[in-house]
Amino acid sequence: MSKKRICLKADVPLNEMRECEAEGGLKLLVANSGGEYFAVQSICPHQDVPLCEGLYDGNVLTCHQHLWQWDIRTGAPMGLAEAPLERFDVFIEGETIYAGSQGALNVGELFSGIADATLAALTGLAKPEEFAEGSTLYKPGDPADDFFVLDAGRVEFQIGRDERTSPAGFMLRKGEVFGWAALLDDHPTRIATARVLEKSTLLRINGKAALKVLESDAASGYLVMRRLSALIARFLAAPGAR
Amino acid sequence: MRIQVNARNRAYQYEARAGEKMLLAGLREGIDLPYECGTGTCGTCKAKLLEGKIEDAWPEAPGRKYVKVDQGEFLLCQCVASGDVTVEVSKFVYATDPGACLAQAMTGSVADVRLLTHDVAALDVMLDAPCDFDAGQFVGIAAPGVAGMRGYSMVNFARGTTRLEFVIKKKSGGGFSEWLFTGAASGAAALKGVRLELFGPLGKATFYPSLAKNILAIAGGSGIAGIMSILSRACQERYFEQYQGHIFFGVRSMKDAFYLSELSAFRKDFPNKLNITIALSDEAVTASAAEQFPLLGFEQGMVHEVAKRVMAGKYQNVRAYLAGPPPAVDASIRVLLLEAKLTADNIRYDKFS
Repeated sequence: MSKKRICLKADVPLNEMRECEAEGGLKLLVANSGGEYFAVQSICPHQDVPLCEGLYDGNVLTCHQHLWQWDIRTGAPMGLAEAPLERFDVFIEGETIYAGSQGALNVGELFSGIADATLAALTGLAKPEEFAEGSTLYKPGDPADDFFVLDAGRVEFQIGRDERTSPAGFMLRKGEVFGWAALLDDHPTRIATARVLEKSTLLRINGKAALKVLESDAASGYLVMRRLSALIARFLAAPGAR
Repeated sequence: MRIQVNARNRAYQYEARAGEKMLLAGLREGIDLPYECGTGTCGTCKAKLLEGKIEDAWPEAPGRKYVKVDQGEFLLCQCVASGDVTVEVSKFVYATDPGACLAQAMTGSVADVRLLTHDVAALDVMLDAPCDFDAGQFVGIAAPGVAGMRGYSMVNFARGTTRLEFVIKKKSGGGFSEWLFTGAASGAAALKGVRLELFGPLGKATFYPSLAKNILAIAGGSGIAGIMSILSRACQERYFEQYQGHIFFGVRSMKDAFYLSELSAFRKDFPNKLNITIALSDEAVTASAAEQFPLLGFEQGMVHEVAKRVMAGKYQNVRAYLAGPPPAVDASIRVLLLEAKLTADNIRYDKFS
């Protein structure tokens, strides 16, 4: 979304939030945090609940249905929340608030909140690529050099070979990361098939180059590795599950 | 019938019996499919049909308003597979925690029905086979001739029990509630022995003694049911010798209050650490109430307001359990998150009504 007018500053009093409709119809949640304005997606990423019905104390946004919480300044999940909020860039011109989309890397679960210079370096490594519906990104045995960040579209995974395959989940949210074997030591090849289910835009990032960037900023690198562990754990099922 | 569920993280396969709802078959198999009410109201178990045919056992279910039927969406808790099916659940799905009581289909019959107040009844059900549940859980119950199931929390707590006790509030238009109160009007004996179908246990607002935290419970009306089960388990385990219990039970007036003798009995054994307050929203507290139930506190006000007043400064190491009408639960959540600054994982409730 290019820069669009969403509301007036006066519409969002100090430490309150409002659901606003941008030109073009996209709904955003605009929050005032100590006099600064932030815009995030208007619907809870959990279960389609409007976030404007939730609770907001000026810093932390809580969805009232299942108490998922986020830091309004970064969109980062807190407490029970299992997904970040998509954040939008906010521009103030006079009394008017404008918002525009952020890059997939900024809203992603892996990189949000890291140092600006490091994020810029990673963004420099990211190659946007378009894939047609039905194309295969990679299959078992392919080299695992790059990982991907979903910008738009939908990607599904299959494990196993030939007729002995089983679905292994899917990605549909902007900023979701997959192919993360490229960020691990000693995982040179793919173990799953990744197929593009609808026309999709992906950011391709070389794993080794990304690790090098993260090594130069250990604090950001540590944050990313913590997030990566949480992400991997989310895809593991408890033992004994069929 | 083979059901395949494609979830965000992986796929699961399980067998459903003829006529068995897809949600219930999955839960029975130990797959923790998303649900909240399990009885057609909340829409949490929304899924999308990818392959195969299904039948909707209750097309009028209130939760249907959350699904886009034209896009193949449906409620797992109300639909039955007509053959092998593949469905998509756009959530992360895991195996049920080891040690949790697995839900199952059960049958039983009405053992007793008695009025607790003018519009609240106690229902006791004798199961055909014993079941295990955790304190704070609920089951879905279907009565003969009533569409769908309705969720009710167990009041009692016992392992391997065949007796389940429930609290039923009279609600016009509430299928199960109307069935019970209409039947009971011609004498409780008329309902005794009536066969019921049940499914459970369900729900995650559970209490285990290993919690090792002080307990705060805020219940409105019939929401006290699950809290009674938690109190029952905690007292059986002598939990309140070590940890505090702060129990708030909100009703409109003294004529709407029930279980006051039972609550007094809980407190009698643990007078130092267990405190129980009855909040009356619509009338002033009379001296006779306090005289009749000297072990209970009485306060005037909405239950979340009373809890907020009494609990000020006492939120250290607290786990809160909330139950009751959704607006009352929401009001309590607001107090606990914004004012008491409890963390979200220490606020437990199941929105199933």
